[in-house]
Amino acid sequence: MTTNSLAPIANLLQQHRVAICDEWLNDIMRIWEHSHAGLVDKEEVSRQANDFLKELAVFFNSHSGEAPAEISTNSPFGKIACELSIERAKKGFKPADTAQYIITLKNVLTRHFLRTYSETPVDLALYLRVMNDMLDRISLLTFEMYVETRERIIAQQSLSLSELSTPIILLWNNVLLLPLVGVIDTVRARQFTERLLEAITRYEANVTIIDVTGVPVFDTSVARHFMKVIDAAQLLGSRIVMTGISPEGAQTLTKLGINFSNIISRATLRSGLAEALLLVGRRIELIGGVRP
Amino acid sequence: MIIPILRLGKILLTSIQQELTDADVLQLQSDLLRKVSEIEALGVIIDITALEVVDSFMARVINDTAGMARLLGAEIVICGVQPYVAMSLVEMGRDLIGADCVFNLDQGLKLLEARIAVRGDAILSLEGDEYARNDRP
Repeated sequence: MTTNSLAPIANLLQQHRVAICDEWLNDIMRIWEHSHAGLVDKEEVSRQANDFLKELAVFFNSHSGEAPAEISTNSPFGKIACELSIERAKKGFKPADTAQYIITLKNVLTRHFLRTYSETPVDLALYLRVMNDMLDRISLLTFEMYVETRERIIAQQSLSLSELSTPIILLWNNVLLLPLVGVIDTVRARQFTERLLEAITRYEANVTIIDVTGVPVFDTSVARHFMKVIDAAQLLGSRIVMTGISPEGAQTLTKLGINFSNIISRATLRSGLAEALLLVGRRIELIGGVRP
Repeated sequence: MIIPILRLGKILLTSIQQELTDADVLQLQSDLLRKVSEIEALGVIIDITALEVVDSFMARVINDTAGMARLLGAEIVICGVQPYVAMSLVEMGRDLIGADCVFNLDQGLKLLEARIAVRGDAILSLEGDEYARNDRP
């Protein structure tokens, strides 16, 4: 034997891997059956558990001494733990469920240790301590990864949501349409301003229609954002047609002292479109008859 | 008191015949704007021929209404401002009525029609505008 005092753990893990794995799976499936029925694929979980135990054995084999080394997300072992956690996070598991996964393994291993090393209490104490320490660190790691993943998912969702809600449409040659839906806050305003200005430059839009039918409230801050986007667009050389202001919206704006005197405003997108086309020298004509 | 708002095609006409309280003026304002939005009016005429006195509040509301109607896509014209009314408004402050003023209803209609003719959405009323005629959802 080498000087590695933790090698017996690795041996135990290798020899009893199947048994440990089964026990672990049984325990964990029993817990998850209620909360996540249908979400867990038993074979998948079993494969992961096997990989996890293999890596755990490798880890104990190669690390001597009492205190386990720092677990980084880069180590093969850390990677498995991360993968597990990320997958659970994506499937909508609670953070406690992920921690439960590791804690269950800890219970199973403790049982095995107690059975195998009951004659050598000094060794047993050491093994238990190291194993506990190790698995605690892994739990922390998985928890951290879980939170990180969830945060990333949330950030992605809010990004795609804000992009969904403000498409910029090339309505006709040199005519852009920006239909706004929902509450306008500073972040959204800045985002659509940037994208609109880029689009105006790219398509050389002479006219930009901003449709606000879907904007529920007009207050000073919303109006200020609009003034900014209008000024910026006019600096680029695009005329602004604003459509879909409600009677209440018009009243509020005027009472706030904002008259948008430098833009064309129309009640509906329909009128706004006619106006915009006229500004670029075109118009929609009635040709009679209906095409099949 | 309810001031009638008359419709001439795509033009709305309202005539103020007597002194109004502040609440009446505000009521007229919101009625007018709702109607503008409802029929997608292209023009609004406010006739104040019969008014001998216009106070600063009413002048401001008329001015505001003009701005609001413009945001809703309608041109607005005030007609029939009497000499004494004009004098007192100027005394109170030049900007009280910012909308365009004409002598009488006839000139008001001509001015609006000329303005509407150069607009892009005038074509909509030529097509027979069945959507605007019904109440929009």
